[in-house]
Amino acid sequence: MYKILPKADLPRLIEKWMEQATVYAPVRQGDFTKFEPLSDPAQADLYYAANTRYPPKSLFLPQSEVMFRVKGSEFEPTGDEVSSRVVLGIHACDTRALQLLDGVFVDRDYQDPYWARKREQTTLVVLGCANPCETCFCTSVGSGPFDKRGADVMLIDLGNEYVADVRSEKGQVLFDHLPDASQEQIDASRQVQAAAAAKMKKPFETEGLKDKLYNLFESGFWATIQQSCLGCGVCTFLCPTCYCFDIVDEVQRNERVRNWDTCMFRIYSQEASGHNPRPTNTERTRQRIMHKYAYFVDLFNEIGCTGCGRCVRYCPVNLDIRQIIRSAQAWEES
Amino acid sequence: MNHNPYKPIPMRIARTVVETDDQSLKSFELVFERDADREAFFSRYRPGQFCQLSIFGKGEAPFGVASAAWEGDFVRFTINKIGVFTRAIHSMKVGDPIGLRGPLGNWYPIENWKGANIVIIGGGYAFTTLFALTQHLLDPAIRPQYGNLTVIYGAREPGLFLYKKELQTWYERKDINLYQAIDCPADGWCYFVGYVPNVTKEIAPSAENAVAFVCGPPVMIKFTLPVLYELGFPAERIYTSMEKRMKCGIGKCGRCNIGPKYICKDGPIFTFAQLQELPPDL
Repeated sequence: MYKILPKADLPRLIEKWMEQATVYAPVRQGDFTKFEPLSDPAQADLYYAANTRYPPKSLFLPQSEVMFRVKGSEFEPTGDEVSSRVVLGIHACDTRALQLLDGVFVDRDYQDPYWARKREQTTLVVLGCANPCETCFCTSVGSGPFDKRGADVMLIDLGNEYVADVRSEKGQVLFDHLPDASQEQIDASRQVQAAAAAKMKKPFETEGLKDKLYNLFESGFWATIQQSCLGCGVCTFLCPTCYCFDIVDEVQRNERVRNWDTCMFRIYSQEASGHNPRPTNTERTRQRIMHKYAYFVDLFNEIGCTGCGRCVRYCPVNLDIRQIIRSAQAWEES
Repeated sequence: MNHNPYKPIPMRIARTVVETDDQSLKSFELVFERDADREAFFSRYRPGQFCQLSIFGKGEAPFGVASAAWEGDFVRFTINKIGVFTRAIHSMKVGDPIGLRGPLGNWYPIENWKGANIVIIGGGYAFTTLFALTQHLLDPAIRPQYGNLTVIYGAREPGLFLYKKELQTWYERKDINLYQAIDCPADGWCYFVGYVPNVTKEIAPSAENAVAFVCGPPVMIKFTLPVLYELGFPAERIYTSMEKRMKCGIGKCGRCNIGPKYICKDGPIFTFAQLQELPPDL
């Protein structure tokens, strides 16, 4: 179902959604944008900075989330208070990331109730990327700037209006009353999509990559590529598919909390005995890369990276995962 | 909200036993505050599984279950005093409340080995879930389903064996062969002296129609495996239990992986054939 939404009508539409739901959209914060709940449709800035610096995974796996309020020996779960939400302007890469993480949090033996509830309560109105950035590489990792997987609605920018590709019942609820798009508009939207994907360079090939990485497991490759890494973890914190968390007790607040964690920190895998299976940046960098490009593929038959480019853009020493993958593909044991 | 796998169930410490002469290992027998929790636990528990114990303010830590269901309505954990959580539990008393999540992970798959001879080899305080397995096999309803039961158990010195009272009763039975070994000779010691690999070689349990379960410090594993291979046990018929730092215990939080396998969810029990397929991220 294709609908047409003139850009001038978007604020009114957001307002309408706000009567029923909390609407999140990119909001300017200094030089960046971040997904925030809107109090006024005018706050939404869908174009200022390509991908928000802070990933919208935080709307589903908050950086710090209270899991339980503890009263004596009773652990009372939180999370029931999450109600209807609309996320507007999320890109295909970040949407794809949520879908990949469903594999971890929902589809396996144990369902994570905190993640599942937020996913159920949320409608994703995705904005396809007509102008992908320099650092974007979604087309190299099995996705694309208009990848519709996981989208309830995909908006395609035609200049003065959006074509809304409505893909789910949740999406229908939000767009049902809008006029249908004409065949010309649909055709134009297809051209925009094809042109955007065609613009993107392919920085590496993934054919044979998984096997190559497994073969490199004990190689000197990892020590070489991690030399400039500071172990700051920003690549993992800002990564839309990094989901590792720590569980800690906040005693003064009587809360059990989960916080984002990172495989780039020593303490992440440090055992009480003193043994650490990943004692240096070399093993930790290997874990980060192999989790996304080998283990995730083994588990879900998908690469665990969506090519959003945040780790490339915000690494303080300019480590570039695209370069790491290229080097891995080219590496020959001496 | 749906079932919450992160929510600890309330337990109480019913009994504690100081296991080793150096006081570093203590067993805690926990009982359930609610009947429904007890029934749910024992309907799922198999030897080899572990639980996350939970003390608010100290967090959670994973421990293998060291008791068989027939022993009573309690769950035993034998815990080395080594970190923040374990120091806290070592200072707790009978009657104190504690949280539990579990049973978690897979188990020693003895249901696949009915009729087989069972060889159990343990070293030091890694004997806990092997003890649960042995106790389970000694259940009068279970024991006839298996062949010979051989247990080889080594410790540095006599005072460091766990479950000393129960081990004595095993010597008195005809349906289990227990071989205890210490590293160096000690006054009054009338069993084996030597490292576990050497003692295993000496006892030479037959590999015919047999399966082995091996847990111990890495160095013991390293030298015991070649002995077992030489005796004719293939890697597919030697099981072990792995451990790593954990938080969630259900395959979500990330840290306990070896390659694509999570110790908490896909393990902790693996055959050495399975481990050989994984990258050496140990």
